Amino acid sequence: MEKKQIKEPIRKKWIWIALLLIVIGNVPWYLPVGSYEPLIFGVPYWALIILAFSLILCGFLSWVTLKEWDIVEDEEEAEKRGRVNE
Amino acid sequence: MNDLVFAGLDGVLILSAYAIVMLLIGYFSGRGDKTLHDSLSNYYLAGKNLGIVALFFTLYATQYSGNTIIGYAPTAYRTGFSWLQSISFMTIIIGVYLLFAPRMYVVSKKMNFITPADWISHRFKSKAVTILAVVLMLWGLGNYLLEQLVAIGHAASSLTGGTIPYQVAVIAFVLVMLIYEWLGGMKAVAFTDVMQGLVLMVGIVIFLVGAVYLVGGDFSSATQYIAANEPAKLGVPDMLTSVNWFSMLLLVGLGAAIYPHAVQRIFAADSERTLKRSFSRMAWMPPITTGLVFVIGILGIALIPNLDTAGSEQLVGLMANEIAGINGFFYWVMIIFFGAIVAAIVSTADSVLLSFSSIVSNDIYGRFINPKAPEKKKVMVGKVTGVLAVGLLLWIAWNPPATLYEIFVLKFELLVQVFPAFVLGLYWKRMAAQPVFWGMLAGAIIAGVLTWTGYKTVFGIHGGVIGLAANFFIAVVGSYLVPLTVEKEAELKKIDLA
Repeated sequence: MEKKQIKEPIRKKWIWIALLLIVIGNVPWYLPVGSYEPLIFGVPYWALIILAFSLILCGFLSWVTLKEWDIVEDEEEAEKRGRVNE
Repeated sequence: MNDLVFAGLDGVLILSAYAIVMLLIGYFSGRGDKTLHDSLSNYYLAGKNLGIVALFFTLYATQYSGNTIIGYAPTAYRTGFSWLQSISFMTIIIGVYLLFAPRMYVVSKKMNFITPADWISHRFKSKAVTILAVVLMLWGLGNYLLEQLVAIGHAASSLTGGTIPYQVAVIAFVLVMLIYEWLGGMKAVAFTDVMQGLVLMVGIVIFLVGAVYLVGGDFSSATQYIAANEPAKLGVPDMLTSVNWFSMLLLVGLGAAIYPHAVQRIFAADSERTLKRSFSRMAWMPPITTGLVFVIGILGIALIPNLDTAGSEQLVGLMANEIAGINGFFYWVMIIFFGAIVAAIVSTADSVLLSFSSIVSNDIYGRFINPKAPEKKKVMVGKVTGVLAVGLLLWIAWNPPATLYEIFVLKFELLVQVFPAFVLGLYWKRMAAQPVFWGMLAGAIIAGVLTWTGYKTVFGIHGGVIGLAANFFIAVVGSYLVPLTVEKEAELKKIDLA
């Protein structure tokens, strides 16, 4: 029988590089200290940048969790169905 | 938070209603399950059988406490827009889970783990490492619980405007919590979390609606006020704050992910699919929880300006007061909201207490004192010790020691020192017990001494993070110096997945 492909996030380097890049963008160290204009709908421009990175962080982690993590799910779900059919 | 316009009998009514609902949920979750109290796994981990709804809400309600609102809004008020970091440091926790939870889930099912120390003990086979890890975890949990107990009293007595004095409020809610936890264990904790988590979510949104209404529905008028009066809170923060922000991501991310009660939720999931889906949803919670609380704090700057530090701690109460004054609808909503804060604090405290008890049951009593005891007895020892611990913590809360107070502030700083052993040990077979022990000890001492001597941060970096760096260094370099034996390597094959 062919060995099942498992997906474990720790084994994929690109996940962690992407995460690091998002985190670096998420902290405003690269913007001029004290600046806040333009205000867009009353929100300082830089806060929107940080907020965008924060949402990217949420979306990225949520997506990775669902798509890049699959170790025993198939067996467990098959077992569950088996139990129901008994 | 005194002199709330909505304080008094109405508050007592709502609080009583919350208490009754919690007791009912606890009663029904424990009823009919005769094996609940006979097995560590059934009592502390709900039989490792939590489904998606219960698991998601118990993760949510445990991670976000009522303190998240009462404490974070004032921080946003004082520091301004740099408190946007509260969104990312709560999100990054999920990233840290991804480092270890997938494999930890599989190993924990295979080995039937009850507590994180089961893993540490299985991995390193060293009494010294296990005991040190247990001490750090109990210390962190104890202080966390203490903080929650203090918060319950503040929130409840302010809601009732002192109709229920602080100490009576604490005792009443602690009793409610102890009773439902005693009756239903993790099941009761998780099912009450569904209720507590829901009211917290709804409460924050309604509070925000009220605050926006008060500034005339116009967020930009609030920021214009800040620009005119306190531009520093609006601008890009200085480099020191940015460094501190990075440090915060590390400390909270690593610390919160390996909180024992958080790890035990990985053990309690009924399947990988459930666990994945819960985490995936949790990743979206920070913007609608700490994010909205942040906005509340910013609006507060314009609504109730010029509060000093102590005054700003009352911010949520002061704003609730004004919101309740809008009309009858908001009046009742604010009472329900404050009740939700109390419920949310209880929902965090109960999880912490359950985890505390499980470590006493499984790791102290079951591992070192009386390993042959039947599980029923181990469960009972944990429950009774939990009640005694709460008693002791209440005593400390009401008679705070004058000099050693800083010790009770340490939680993340110490807890996070278990991280290298816990996570690196999962993948790196060379990692050896002795260097892990010395690393953990050195990290804890550095973090403790720095915090204790008033250097909570050095150049913006938290003492806990500096201790962690030393900890990692000692554990890694030391492990390279210890030769790896063939037997040990064969034994560790068990944690390989494929």
